[in-house]
Amino acid sequence: MTLPRRWPLIAIGLLVVLILPLVLNQLGNLYAVRVIGLVGIYCILGVGLNITIGYTGLLDLGYIAFYAIGAYTAAILSIAGISFWLGLPIVMVVGGAIRLGLGAPILRLRGDYLAIVTLGFGEIVRLVLINLDAITNGPKGLPRVGEKIADVKLFAFTLTENIHFYYLILVFLLIAIFISHRLEHSRLGRALIAIREDELAATLSGINIARTKAVAFVISGIIGAVAGDIYVHWNQFVSPESFTFWESVLLVSMLVIGGMGNVWGILLGVVLLVAVPEVLRSTLGTAFVDYRMIAFGLLMVVIIIFRPQGLLPSRRRALELEAAGGEP
Amino acid sequence: MKAHTVFRLTLTFIFLLGILVVISGCGQKGPRVVKVALVAPLTGDIAAHGQGMKRAAQLAIEEAVQSNRFKDFKLELAAFDDRGDPKEAVTIANQIISDPAILGIVGHLNSGCSIPASQVYAKRNVLMITPASTNPKLTQQGLRNVFRLCTTDDVQGKFAADYAVDNLKIEKAALVHDKTAYGQGLTEEFRKEFLARNGQVLSFDGIDVGEKDFKALITRIKGESPQLLYFGGMHPECGLLSKQAKELGLSVPVFSGDGIVTPEYAKIGGPATEGDYASMIGSPPEKLPAASKFVANYHQRYPKNDMQPYDPYTYEAINIILDAIEKTGGDRNKMIDYIAKVTYSGILGESSFDERGDTRNKTITIYTVRNGLFKYVD
Amino acid sequence: MFFQQLVNGITLGSIYALFALGYTMVYGILLMINFAHSEIFMVGAYLGFWALSLLPVWVQGWTPGYFILVFAIAMMGAGLLAVTIERVAYRPLRRASRLAPLISAIGVSIFLQNLVQVTVSAQSQPYPDTFKISHYEFFGVQVNSLQIFIFALAISAMVLLQVFITKTRLGKAMRATAQNHTVSQLMGINVNFIITVTFLIGGALGGLAGVLNGMYYGSIKFNMGFFPGLKAFTAAVVGGIGNIKGAMVGGFLLGIIEALTVGYISSAYKDIILFAVLILVLIFRPTGIFGEEVTEKI
Repeated sequence: MTLPRRWPLIAIGLLVVLILPLVLNQLGNLYAVRVIGLVGIYCILGVGLNITIGYTGLLDLGYIAFYAIGAYTAAILSIAGISFWLGLPIVMVVGGAIRLGLGAPILRLRGDYLAIVTLGFGEIVRLVLINLDAITNGPKGLPRVGEKIADVKLFAFTLTENIHFYYLILVFLLIAIFISHRLEHSRLGRALIAIREDELAATLSGINIARTKAVAFVISGIIGAVAGDIYVHWNQFVSPESFTFWESVLLVSMLVIGGMGNVWGILLGVVLLVAVPEVLRSTLGTAFVDYRMIAFGLLMVVIIIFRPQGLLPSRRRALELEAAGGEP
Repeated sequence: MKAHTVFRLTLTFIFLLGILVVISGCGQKGPRVVKVALVAPLTGDIAAHGQGMKRAAQLAIEEAVQSNRFKDFKLELAAFDDRGDPKEAVTIANQIISDPAILGIVGHLNSGCSIPASQVYAKRNVLMITPASTNPKLTQQGLRNVFRLCTTDDVQGKFAADYAVDNLKIEKAALVHDKTAYGQGLTEEFRKEFLARNGQVLSFDGIDVGEKDFKALITRIKGESPQLLYFGGMHPECGLLSKQAKELGLSVPVFSGDGIVTPEYAKIGGPATEGDYASMIGSPPEKLPAASKFVANYHQRYPKNDMQPYDPYTYEAINIILDAIEKTGGDRNKMIDYIAKVTYSGILGESSFDERGDTRNKTITIYTVRNGLFKYVD
Repeated sequence: MFFQQLVNGITLGSIYALFALGYTMVYGILLMINFAHSEIFMVGAYLGFWALSLLPVWVQGWTPGYFILVFAIAMMGAGLLAVTIERVAYRPLRRASRLAPLISAIGVSIFLQNLVQVTVSAQSQPYPDTFKISHYEFFGVQVNSLQIFIFALAISAMVLLQVFITKTRLGKAMRATAQNHTVSQLMGINVNFIITVTFLIGGALGGLAGVLNGMYYGSIKFNMGFFPGLKAFTAAVVGGIGNIKGAMVGGFLLGIIEALTVGYISSAYKDIILFAVLILVLIFRPTGIFGEEVTEKI
């Protein structure tokens, strides 16, 4: 266990994460709280996607589809009058079931073929959301005129402000990190890493490849769906524009730039890719507003060239990369 | 604990803190500065529209500064890029309400951005006028700070269908839309009225924004032999649709909405667009001195750019907000009350807002392409 | 109507196929998805646009030479851009994990797209229609000379490339490099040079596809690469990525499926069906139509 040795830092980190947004909120800076909340959502997605990409080595370019499925399922349930807490398990089941249905036939594909199939699936989901007017209200988004997404209630308390949702997101993020951490250090986690390194050797060691991969794939999908559920309750509106292919690509970029396989690396990657555009927005101002994405693209290239292994790679992967010399 | 781990983690948190400090540091400028925000997609697929809106907004602010109407304030435009992404739109909305200098917002373009962002603006009673979002839901959320200067789809779609039946004597039409809230909404309203007038709708298809090849679709539509091709969407797709229709021998006029009314339309579609129709809110600029002055100023200020469909609405929206600032001394609450009652006469004619916040200006003009330019039809 | 749809689909497929060749060549050598290829396509289209509008009158009078010059400028420019991108953004990552160059490519793509938007224009640019298009009709099927030209160009590009790869020394060196970098190096092949050549040819073909796309549809825009890029990449995978014939067949297949789906099923569901076909093809033939079994890891 590496956890106890780091505890002072984690304690400091938790303190910052718990108190700073509250301070900002009291100062009236809703914008900063919103950005931190958004970072939280992407962290949940990052942790979820990491289970597929980082642990199992399956490149998933359509992960945003499960975020979308979660968001739309939650919106439909909420409009039907089902509360957030009651809807949550349903969202998880729906997300997990679709993930399983997708995973069963495609998980035997390797590397880039899997990547392109997941990409295709991501696009299919987005297009279905646009075209299935009767259920999703098409491009106009949910809720429809006269409908409302119910507020999230915690006993008598109703979550309305950014800061409320921030703490909700934080709780779910911690749960996701916990699950991810347990997974990595469990028998299943070791099996996943064995598969990533060498499928053949893993099979010979008695690992049921199909089942192990599917479990990781499904857990990852469920985490994505939950993130969508929270997002839609926070935003009170959902439309297909939010789930483009670029969102999936951005997520993968967060993982790789932060350092795959390592939860801390992912958090750093998310902070970087969500916060950098915001910092650029503030610093460039109105005069240079058009140059923001140019700077962002350039920065991505520069970071990856100087830290190809990511900013905080997992120790195991870092060792592998040193040892192997990285022959493709 | 290993030294480098401590170092890395400390670095991470310092970095995190640094970002938060930068974010929280913004929005605190000197006093007496008054800003009007423009939020539109300035990058991304529909950047052309957003950039046009930014130019129009810039022009309106520059004119106001020159006119010396605002002696007590230093007037500024704050332009934001939402990339057409609802998530960014809400983030910007939070940034805007955290900045007390911003008194009004013109935006957003996409309804998907306007709706969630409007709820955030409502929290701090910041006035928002959208020059482009047509989803009816926007003004039916019961938010008093939200106004819409463009017409909703039902007004424009109905007018277009009536015009097609009454003036063009169309009985059979093929309908295409671009699967956006705007394009699809407009086309559905057209269909509703067209059917009610005993028109025959031969087909109803969706295409993707950014797509370029409509030949397969046109080949099929040609087989249905329509008299009119109605398209709900924007000029890049509509121009190509019109061009490819004529190439494949489907020589019927294309009819669309305000999303195509820009000289760029005929440049994309070439001579094929001659005789195509479009409906647009407001009186023709030729009949309104204010409007023709705006067109002339715009071309003088931006000689290299074509005017984009939402530029006139944006210009008008900024001017309405400036008027409210002038009359109320820049109080956010009073501005909303003022705009709810005012009748503003500008480049779109007389604009006022109903109890929901929708414009009462329902004058629609039909334009047709002659010699590569949109000319109004009486 | 069926034959008309076939013609529509084949023209669309020709552009996808030319575009897909660039993806497949780079993948064959480096096993990386070159996301920036769609931006090379876009830049190629812009270079062609400037060449068409700016070339002096005395060149314009001489039609065949004029077109050769326009294509040459666009292809050289796009090829050099591809080589530059490889040098700057991919080469330093050759020894890194396989996802690192992918991210670098995404960064380059975002950078180039926004650079063109800001420096040139966010609007569509109408393409000069200098190509005299003659329309023909065979049994009610509309075909124009540009469609025939595009089809012929796509086929000849593929044949030339195939001959180049299989018959010339350089081509053989490329295939060897694709199989194993280290062993090729031991055999005296300059791997870096081979990779440069691959990017040059792939980029030039991307640029050519860009110009043809501009000529055929008559307008170009800074984001024009994204949609066809996605389709072309899909085509390369369906055909079996890394395989030249595969890219060609995949491109035509995709174009034809697209046209027929729109013609007979639904325009709105076109891409859903397209991606569903992709998934089915890969489920039943996990390495694409012409692909070979290779083991790999991320």
